[in-house]
Amino acid sequence: MIRTEIRLAGSGGQGLILGMHILFRALGLEGKHAAQSQSYEPTSRGGFCYSDVIVTGNAADYPLVTHLDMMAGLSQTGVDRSIGLVKPGGLVIVDERLVPEPPKSGVRLLTLPIMARAVEVGSPRIANIIALGALVGLSGLCTRHSLEEAVRRETPKKFADLNLTAVAEGFALASAGTGLAHGDGAARPPHVVRADA
Amino acid sequence: MSHAPTALHGNHACALGAIAAGCRFFAGYPITPSSEVAEHMSRELPHVDGTFIQMEDEIASLAACIGASLGGVKTMTATSGPGFSLMQENLGYAAMTETPCVIINVMRGGPSTGMPTRPAQGDIMQARWGTHGDHPVIVVAPASVQEVYTQTIRAFNLAEEFRTPVIVLYDEIVAHLMETVSLPAKGKAEVKDRKWATGAEVGFMPYAETDDLVPVMSRPGDGHRVHVTGLTHTPDGFPTQKPELADRALRRLVDKIELNRDRIDEVEEIETADADILVVAVGIVARAARRAVEMLRAEGVKAGLLRPVTLWPFPEAQVRNAAERASVIVVPEMNTGQLSLEIERLAGRGKRIRTIHRIDGEPIGPDEIAQTIREA
Repeated sequence: MIRTEIRLAGSGGQGLILGMHILFRALGLEGKHAAQSQSYEPTSRGGFCYSDVIVTGNAADYPLVTHLDMMAGLSQTGVDRSIGLVKPGGLVIVDERLVPEPPKSGVRLLTLPIMARAVEVGSPRIANIIALGALVGLSGLCTRHSLEEAVRRETPKKFADLNLTAVAEGFALASAGTGLAHGDGAARPPHVVRADA
Repeated sequence: MSHAPTALHGNHACALGAIAAGCRFFAGYPITPSSEVAEHMSRELPHVDGTFIQMEDEIASLAACIGASLGGVKTMTATSGPGFSLMQENLGYAAMTETPCVIINVMRGGPSTGMPTRPAQGDIMQARWGTHGDHPVIVVAPASVQEVYTQTIRAFNLAEEFRTPVIVLYDEIVAHLMETVSLPAKGKAEVKDRKWATGAEVGFMPYAETDDLVPVMSRPGDGHRVHVTGLTHTPDGFPTQKPELADRALRRLVDKIELNRDRIDEVEEIETADADILVVAVGIVARAARRAVEMLRAEGVKAGLLRPVTLWPFPEAQVRNAAERASVIVVPEMNTGQLSLEIERLAGRGKRIRTIHRIDGEPIGPDEIAQTIREA
């Protein structure tokens, strides 16, 4: 398995760690070796926060990110402080409103109405899951089925439907953004289409 | 032997390791980034008839652990940064009274309250020398979630076997890192228990000199005499300041660790046999160093890694050995120079040693280490 590094970046309170924890669990359901880490500040809301997942064929491999293959950003600070780690041509998804100044070059950028969709379908608190759905939809890191199963296992029951709606929204955004993402998201190498690089 | 793989973060693995090792008492005061150890112990202990106490501070936390251990149970506390500083006096008391206990210290940015949510390796020397006086201590330094589990069990075994406090030293990254681990089936972990006094109660010496220099303990209430004091004491437990007796007592205390190194030392060596450039690193930095070594080997550079798993007592023989074969030694660490002091002591100061120090709350990555090796 080729080592793949993924980050969800934003600010504290956005559910970034939970989001990547769900991805970590989804990869585990498929028997893939992964490690999840995070960085946060001593405030429960605000501040620079991110969570990372690395997928690797070797359990003893370095568990932290070195060069990001893909990232989703839900705050300007989150993107600004992470962009230097993204590989040239790496995939960067940003929210159109929360990241008013997206990176101008060097990456494959996709600006999506993540927060707008979150508010419209139920709650700003599901922006993390929509971003995750979009990342998985675009990259095929795991199947949609695995992601949905991980969402069911790792989120409170009373929010399961809302979170599953968020996954669907994320996949829909991915699909609209590229015209290539498929509902099953299966076995698709990391790729994106709209090259703003 | 092994269960199906389970995904855990380091602090959770620590709590499960403690339970598997037979820990039945936890007293602590939550502090980032160690709090999840307390959280999980509070959930696990009631299921095994254990006791969890949230104390008023870290001084009381270790005091309670020492008391409970003397009462006959395996005990643990967990802390970080300022909390570890507060524990130093009682750490010395546990060493002097030869009370088995395990202290988890999750390193965060210091000094003082420093950077609570950021990793550091600034307590390497404090773990060895934090409490006053010449004292024995064992420190183990796991580098992965799997190893937090196995080394926590080993810490309990060493504490019981050598009647000494044992510190499990890791950092914020390992504490909160989520990895897949294999846990042994329930009851299948290798667990060692302390030696209890048996035989005649009359004439029993609570600090008698045994073959391996570790005295047997009196089980509370069974009749063998108990004498616990932080004062320098003779085998009968009574205080002494007679030079020859004090010397003998303190030398035994130190020697019970030094002369039993074959049961205490543990290092991991990767590609050191023919290594021209030797990296010595611990904890999460050693994981980065391992990757750097792999990268360099692929480039044809003869690099190797030596990782002290038992950090204290320092693996002097192993380091000397590997250092003799290498022309350059690289020491990356998240402090201004602690591990490197030991390396300099063993390999000699000079151009042979290259150090990397980070104190900005960020980990040292594989690229940084690889670059230093290339320039060495």
